[in-house]
Amino acid sequence: MITLQDKILSKVTKPTRYTGGELNAVLKDPKSVDVRFGFCFADTYEIAMSHLGLKILYHSLNNRSDTWCERVFAPWTDMEDEMRAHGMRLFALESGDEVTHFDMLGFTLQYELCYSNIVNMLNLAGIPPLASERGEEYPIICGGGPCAYNAEPVADFFDFLMMGEGEDLINEVTDEYARWKKNGKKDKRDYLEAIAKIDGVYVPSFYDVEYNADGTVKSVVPNNPNAKPRIKKRIMRDFDGAYTPETIIVPFGEVVHDRVMLEIMRGCLRGCRFCQAGYIYRPQRERSPQRLLGIADSLLSCSGYDEISLSSLSSSDYGGLRELTDGLLDMTEQKKIGLSLPSLRIDNFSLELMEKVQKVRKTGITFAPEAGTQRLRDVINKNITEEDILSSTKLLFEGGWTSVKLYFMIGLPTETNEDVEGIAELAQKVLGVYFGIPKEERAKNINITVSTSSFVPKPFTAFQWAAQNSREELIEKQDLLKSSIKSKRIRYNWHDNKTSYLEGVFARGDRRLSRVILRAVEKGCKFDGWGEHFRFDLWMETFEELGIDPDFYNLRERSYEEVLPWDHIDIGVTKLFLMKENEKAKAAETTPHCREKCSGCGAAVWKTGVCTEK
Amino acid sequence: MSSYILKYSRDERVKYISHLDFVRLFHRAVRRADIPFVFSQGFNPHPIMTVAQPLSVGVTSDCEYMKVGFDGNFDEAELCKGLNGAMPPGYEIKAAKKINGKEIDLTKINRAEYIVEAEYEGSIDDIKEFLANKELVVMKKTKSGEKESDIRPYIYDLKIIDRQEGTVMLDMTIAVGSIYNLKPETVLKAMEKYLPEFRPGFFAAHRKSMTIDGKEIL
Repeated sequence: MITLQDKILSKVTKPTRYTGGELNAVLKDPKSVDVRFGFCFADTYEIAMSHLGLKILYHSLNNRSDTWCERVFAPWTDMEDEMRAHGMRLFALESGDEVTHFDMLGFTLQYELCYSNIVNMLNLAGIPPLASERGEEYPIICGGGPCAYNAEPVADFFDFLMMGEGEDLINEVTDEYARWKKNGKKDKRDYLEAIAKIDGVYVPSFYDVEYNADGTVKSVVPNNPNAKPRIKKRIMRDFDGAYTPETIIVPFGEVVHDRVMLEIMRGCLRGCRFCQAGYIYRPQRERSPQRLLGIADSLLSCSGYDEISLSSLSSSDYGGLRELTDGLLDMTEQKKIGLSLPSLRIDNFSLELMEKVQKVRKTGITFAPEAGTQRLRDVINKNITEEDILSSTKLLFEGGWTSVKLYFMIGLPTETNEDVEGIAELAQKVLGVYFGIPKEERAKNINITVSTSSFVPKPFTAFQWAAQNSREELIEKQDLLKSSIKSKRIRYNWHDNKTSYLEGVFARGDRRLSRVILRAVEKGCKFDGWGEHFRFDLWMETFEELGIDPDFYNLRERSYEEVLPWDHIDIGVTKLFLMKENEKAKAAETTPHCREKCSGCGAAVWKTGVCTEK
Repeated sequence: MSSYILKYSRDERVKYISHLDFVRLFHRAVRRADIPFVFSQGFNPHPIMTVAQPLSVGVTSDCEYMKVGFDGNFDEAELCKGLNGAMPPGYEIKAAKKINGKEIDLTKINRAEYIVEAEYEGSIDDIKEFLANKELVVMKKTKSGEKESDIRPYIYDLKIIDRQEGTVMLDMTIAVGSIYNLKPETVLKAMEKYLPEFRPGFFAAHRKSMTIDGKEIL
């Protein structure tokens, strides 16, 4: 039988993005469940399937007998065109069913540039994007993930948002949903009022935002007695004992992270001042090596993957690293499984480890000094010195590595031309280290890559008040750096500043941006994170048309007195601490990491992890 | 080390998986089944396996073959059972046979039978008239680009087995392999050229058997 699906899939690239049916995907009888949940990721299959949070929440929800959680991803544009041409709606991968009348759709907000895709996906599902226009016949649309901490630019699209770690929370809101549905799903408001009482739940429509004459936020005040004045994020206090799936879906086509990912810890104790993840996931918590080895064994044997990778923000800070890697090496050597170790500081221990892991191939090593001078590294509290970098690269070159990538940001607060030139000087010094090693002791063909991205100030960081560099400033700095690099052995890659500009607008945006997103999608904006689809001109045209000045959001420095659009969200880390960090940054003073000395950031209220280490 | 010939099928659920993706998928299935592969020597060791006449994307099959090297001796039925427990739904290992040397040479496969369901406009009556042509010259993709080729000698059998409103079901046995490789779509193209009333559209194909000179392999 020739089906419409066949005709469509035969025309699109990578059809297995849309067919589902992968090993370990969960199939259920829709009649046997109360809640049909669509876990939505507003990007392609390959990106979505590399996301650890999806894997955790998907299996956690599917462990419930009353719920079937399926995956819903953004179709690539060729597929979207076919779907629209044939009147086919957005569908879930497991069942192939339209999601238009699912019970709940949960979007993970991983980065700002996926916002247009959220609206586009809802359009494609035949669901009104504005929460206020959706009745009980449509799914409850919820969201979570890092951008949910300031989801104001997309707040109008969501019935509710979840702050923080979702393992427990998602089950609590699903319980309430099942109860509401049993009682006849009368008024969406009843459901939202019931969950507004749960810690970590933010119902945007229960808050009124008022603005000052200058356009800044005057106040964010609850308009519903069930809504809390401040919404506190959720975390898994017992991270070692927290749920983690022992099974994993194995994609047919290659995805970005096509391997087992072992989440060894959550949070980071370093306190880099630009890093949102470093603040929002506090406090740093670890999982025991014994438990991790058990999880690794289950995931490898149920998937057949031949590669496993540690996942964390800074693996070197993981207390049981030696015990864990010894155990993993026993497992992987025997089964010819590759072990990859990202986010490691380079020292003798890690080099020895890399020698063991990469017996033959010496792939490239990436360092992230982030800034070109010690002064600026102190400003951002990146506690890595030039000496660290030079001694590490010496160890690497002596060990036979010849490909080094150095990653920096430009546009950091207080940055001067000297800091930008410092990037080129540092790369030159690394090259000098290589040539300082006698010819017979080093491998041939050194190649150093310098990459810069443009700094985007994010909410809940020490730099949340800072002005982002304009595109002109960034281009000048890129040009300065280009002309400062003298050696042909140093390559320079830079990141497009137009996407950083838009990212900056949404990162610290407020509710008035929802209509910009709606309008931009009408004009055809989607897949903004993909160079070939990003239409900066259409975005700027939309801002202009609606009389909204994007520079107000990204290029403006805020005062400490200003009410920030995300001030009603409580991540544990206090605003006062972030202010102090910002002041220390201006004075180029560093702050020790959590194990050295507690700096009283506020995350200790959770009484767990590094905050309770003796 | 022992070599095995495996016969397997793939159904609608997995028909869009490309050859390369299938190779990776099979490697993983073998790991899951805990069967030790034989790895190639060299810089980047990989498990040894060869798929005979890889299927086009979108085509289902009852009769795919591959040769693999496993480290050890396995009961053929047990091997099928173990692998079937580890393959994603949609694939089935139907038979396994341990071979010595070249007693079965998959590179000699030269015939395949397909069931092809094709939508069409116009009409199609007698396929004999089509087959009566001395030659059927169409453009055909080769390694060195598109070339005209007479495909008539490589159509061993072709009949209409069903006809519905606007679709026709064909059963064709044609050449595959390294000497001459013919695909169902090329046969449809020839039919379009030589049967003036027949304008085929979208089609779906299913490979029913692959043989060496008409002789079943497993």
